[in-house]
Amino acid sequence: MDPVTLAVVRGAMEQIADEMDLHLIHAAISPIISETNDCAHGIFLPNSGETIAQGRFGLPVFLANMQFTVQNLITHVEGKGGFKPGDVWILNDPYRCGTHLQDVVLVAPHFVNGELFALLASTGHWMDIGGSVPGGWAPAALDIHTEGIIIPPVRLYHEGQLNEGLVSMFTGNVRLPTQIEGDLFAMSNVFHVGRRGLDALVQRYGKDMLGECISELNDRSEQQMRSYISEIPNGVYHAEDFMDNDGIVDSPIKIALKLTVEDSSLHFDFTGSDPAARGPLNLARSTTQSTCFIALKHIFADVPVNGGAFRPTSFDITEGSVISAAYPSPVSGYLEPIGRVFDTVIGALAQAIPDRTPAPAFGTVGVVTAGGKHPDTDDYFVAVFPYPGGYGGHSKGDGLVHGTPPVSMANFMSIEASEHRYPLEFEEFALREDSGGPGRFRGGCGTQYRFRALSEFVISVLGDRQDHRPFGIAGGGPAAPSVVRLGLGGEEKIPPMRSKLEKQKLMPGDSLFAATPGGGGFGDPNDRPFDAIQEDLDLGYISRETAESSYGVVVCEERHAGRKRLVIDVDASKVKRRKTCA
Amino acid sequence: MKEETDVSDVVGIDVGGTFTDLFYSRDGIHAERICKVPSTPHDPSVGLLDALNAAEVPAKDLDLILHGTTIATNAVIERVGAKCGLVTTKGFRDVLELGRRDRPDFYGLTGKQNPLIPRNLRLEVDERTTFNGEVVRDVDKAEVAALAEILKAEDVGAIVVSFLHSYANPANEDRVAELLRLFNPEWEIVTSASINREYYEFERTSTATIQAFLQPLIKGYSEKLLKRLSDWGFDRQTLVMQSNGGLVPASHLGQHAAQIVRSGPAAGVTAAARIASEAGFDRAITGDMGGTSYDVAVVIDGEPEITPATNLDFRLPLRVSMINVHTIGAGGGSIANVDRAGILTVGPRSARARPGPVCFGFGGTEPTVTDANVVLARINAHDPIGLTDLDQLDVDAARTAIGKLGDKLGLSVEETAEAILAIVNQNMAGRTRLLSIERGYDPRDFALVIFGGAGPLHGAAIIREVGIKTMIVPPAPGVLCAMGCVVADVRYDVSQTVARATSDIETGELDDRMNEQELEGRRKLEESGVAVKTTLVRHYAEMAYRGQIHALRVAIEKGWDTNRIDAAFDEAYRAEYGNTLGEISTTIVSLRTVVEGQREHEKRTLPEPARLPPPAPYDRRQVHFTKWWDTPIYKRDTLYPGTVIEGPCIVEQPDTTIIIEPGMSGRIDAFENILVEVA
Repeated sequence: MDPVTLAVVRGAMEQIADEMDLHLIHAAISPIISETNDCAHGIFLPNSGETIAQGRFGLPVFLANMQFTVQNLITHVEGKGGFKPGDVWILNDPYRCGTHLQDVVLVAPHFVNGELFALLASTGHWMDIGGSVPGGWAPAALDIHTEGIIIPPVRLYHEGQLNEGLVSMFTGNVRLPTQIEGDLFAMSNVFHVGRRGLDALVQRYGKDMLGECISELNDRSEQQMRSYISEIPNGVYHAEDFMDNDGIVDSPIKIALKLTVEDSSLHFDFTGSDPAARGPLNLARSTTQSTCFIALKHIFADVPVNGGAFRPTSFDITEGSVISAAYPSPVSGYLEPIGRVFDTVIGALAQAIPDRTPAPAFGTVGVVTAGGKHPDTDDYFVAVFPYPGGYGGHSKGDGLVHGTPPVSMANFMSIEASEHRYPLEFEEFALREDSGGPGRFRGGCGTQYRFRALSEFVISVLGDRQDHRPFGIAGGGPAAPSVVRLGLGGEEKIPPMRSKLEKQKLMPGDSLFAATPGGGGFGDPNDRPFDAIQEDLDLGYISRETAESSYGVVVCEERHAGRKRLVIDVDASKVKRRKTCA
Repeated sequence: MKEETDVSDVVGIDVGGTFTDLFYSRDGIHAERICKVPSTPHDPSVGLLDALNAAEVPAKDLDLILHGTTIATNAVIERVGAKCGLVTTKGFRDVLELGRRDRPDFYGLTGKQNPLIPRNLRLEVDERTTFNGEVVRDVDKAEVAALAEILKAEDVGAIVVSFLHSYANPANEDRVAELLRLFNPEWEIVTSASINREYYEFERTSTATIQAFLQPLIKGYSEKLLKRLSDWGFDRQTLVMQSNGGLVPASHLGQHAAQIVRSGPAAGVTAAARIASEAGFDRAITGDMGGTSYDVAVVIDGEPEITPATNLDFRLPLRVSMINVHTIGAGGGSIANVDRAGILTVGPRSARARPGPVCFGFGGTEPTVTDANVVLARINAHDPIGLTDLDQLDVDAARTAIGKLGDKLGLSVEETAEAILAIVNQNMAGRTRLLSIERGYDPRDFALVIFGGAGPLHGAAIIREVGIKTMIVPPAPGVLCAMGCVVADVRYDVSQTVARATSDIETGELDDRMNEQELEGRRKLEESGVAVKTTLVRHYAEMAYRGQIHALRVAIEKGWDTNRIDAAFDEAYRAEYGNTLGEISTTIVSLRTVVEGQREHEKRTLPEPARLPPPAPYDRRQVHFTKWWDTPIYKRDTLYPGTVIEGPCIVEQPDTTIIIEPGMSGRIDAFENILVEVA
């Protein structure tokens, strides 16, 4: 295989997928796509469904599960007479697609000279999918039907002909019909971009040559992935983590991983995990697998995203368990088990390669949704405020403040824009002091915010990490847990399930306060240098109590620039630390 | 504004990180002299004077000095600005540090930010304005006084005042600024709404912070510069290039500090746009390839595309109008490597100035794009261009380094060098394509204006890859940014947030706002004291479908009703995305007015020159284009308008080397550009 052609084809395939991402991000109506990139695009082999290339602007959560979705669809379509030119298939069935009902996937075949050459796929998050809760995150759902409409694999376009009845079914069953329709057609338009790019490549290299390149590229990616895995010491590494509850039954849910590293292969055994949750904190198998890849990619960032890179891994996940959801388990809280799967991978790798593994991030995507009629327009609105939080400390430094979840790139909406759009007013949006896990390298701080309702609407919260905090690694301590508090009629209330709450009515003047965890700490906090702790005190990242209890220093109070300042007594601190060690 | 009476000598000077380039013209367009001297980062005005002296520019004949500078960018990146305090609405002092929930890299969880103002210098005031501009909590004088004491004790030099919704009503910000000014007249005080009158609190606060952080430094720089020029004998007007491609008087530079962070690249695009337009191309892509990066921008109808914002660093957005320049890590110093999959990659890692490419002999061992060009004899190893202080490039060392890489791929030295160029050219072509095709344009309608020291070596391959018909190589591609300063106009952008449904807006209301903004722009122009011939005013609405975040810029005119405006939006949307979203209603997010004072702006029209045969080449050498070709080498100054040269050939000039590939030809046009086309 000519190495120049190979490199050029790889670049060209990535460019096509990137162009598909950008096209949808610019054309979508929903802010969740246009502002937070909640979408993904890929090109896939027509028979095996293996990923050829995936766009680099879409969300990491779709990293590998696009491939599993396409593979599931191929099996289904084979039974329906196969792909035809002009077909576009649509589905959101989460047991096939891996995430939740809001993520709708479109798949279109691409033919060259009448022969199926590749499959193109577009995933986009719809702002509403019917169901009991605006936005689709339904903390009290007991089955999938409560969460919204299921779209089984069906043809949106049949040989070029739009299924208008299907579109009417969507617009008749979602709360934001014009927005959803706009996004649907924006997604269908993306395939033109993909086809144009593939056609140009076929014209340049010929179909056979291009096919050979693609197959060679996947083999090369496998080789690349194996070279990284070989650097992890062989062994069996155990890690487990818990979710607080599932919003229905107030007992913790375990996710357990036994990771076996053998030369250039990885085996993820999740069989020790709990059975399906009663509430919506279930995760489909394909996204459990995808999450493992995301964790690996965060550690080995230049691993390519294609089918070859996924080959050196194998999985044991019990069907029907909390991380291999089956019908009719509700899944809208899937981002929480993702967080725990992610952190068990981190926990296992931290034992094997601590210098390359960051401590866990805040770990809860804690989606706060507000929905109701806007008093000014009488239109239905749905506002989504996901938790930001701190990242873990790592062998080279402290964790980031106010990060986005590792499986996402989504931003938090501007406060001013939110107040323009929704009948609510923010009273606070601040760094949360003392929330990062202590360590030689401290976890980054979480965030706290509070808003007040200006008219009547309902809010739901789907979060976690109140009872089970993000842990520290290599001797570091855990981060602060998350907090949700309501102000109802002037009284402060804690939701019954603490981190989860469905459709609580807020009246004008009522408020919601949320505080998110920081990241876990890395290394022994007693090894943190005094000047770093002094800076933490100066900037208010940690309190005096934490400095004294977690970092083993002695703090006194001074006046500085007209204000009180907490200052470390270095000599006394050295004595105190020595005593602790003794 | 005074009417311009006569045209005199002008000088454009672009102060870059490594070199200070000068373009001296007696008629405002032709180069009388050009030169390059080393920059002096400790005090850039020294290098600027060095350039004036080296080019022996006569101070007495000089009417105007136009200047591009990287001083602002460097100060932000290296964090060497003023010690600032920030005053915010109570509950929101951390907005500057939090940003909007993100991380530096898509993959990797170990980044960190470094806010321009640390948390202990960020203070709060219990005030509040709502989104519609209603003040619901007034400013308390005593609270401000207490906070002023703290900031004084902390010895800050500048203070940013940024309150929620100040773009809708700046009263509380102005009040606090006034109180602080009374407390200590020495402070530089910047209110967020005075810098950016648009919503999005983080972005606006960040922009105001960048302004305050730079203001004292830039003020000091402009005073020093003007003093030096005065001592040198020049007391007339000095203008500085802004990121939006417009000029601003050096004497007012402090207040425009945030506007000059992309001064240099903007100058290059401005010159390229002018050159393309004169040469008869109304659509152009400009490509500037230097040692570490390739900068591309789009020009439509002679106007560079403008973006409303950029990120200077992680969590450091800057919201000012600027020429939309996209950068990728592809330059002469980009390093070639074989990755773990056995696939050849080039960049974004760069060998930079030190150690530099292997052939420079400064200790570089990893092969770069420049090494590939040397191995293929595209670059003259015996007479290297630029100010590298080298008489000779080490071809053998470059061959050895590339040969080692080739062994991993099973390719010969020449094949490997060609492969390196193929990859780096694909990267640049890909970015170039994204710019045009993605916006619904056909790249074949564009000309590529190629410049920068390395650009003309690669431009031919880029046009071949993208399918662009014509490449324009300007007369002095290596100092184009300096020339850009000379041809630019004076420009002010005024904008404010509207954020309302288009259908709810009365026609007269928009007209009032446009008039108001135009007045403000004209006033700024007047205050600049720059001689202009004509004043051009344009209005734009930033519009979106209801619910959309990304807005589209639509040119509008006074007197239009909302139907007419909606029709213009439909048209713009279709051009950008190929379709519209039908019945969904629209929103006007903001209104922008551009007031441009045009200086000397005669577009030269010169007759098409008669065709001339190529001169005798001054040399011939074997150059590799998939095989070794006996290739003629021309000196640029022997090519006169009308000359046609056939590829493969190479044109050498002091500031760059131009490649014309086999199957292409070059024609010198009336303006002394080389137009390269696929035959």
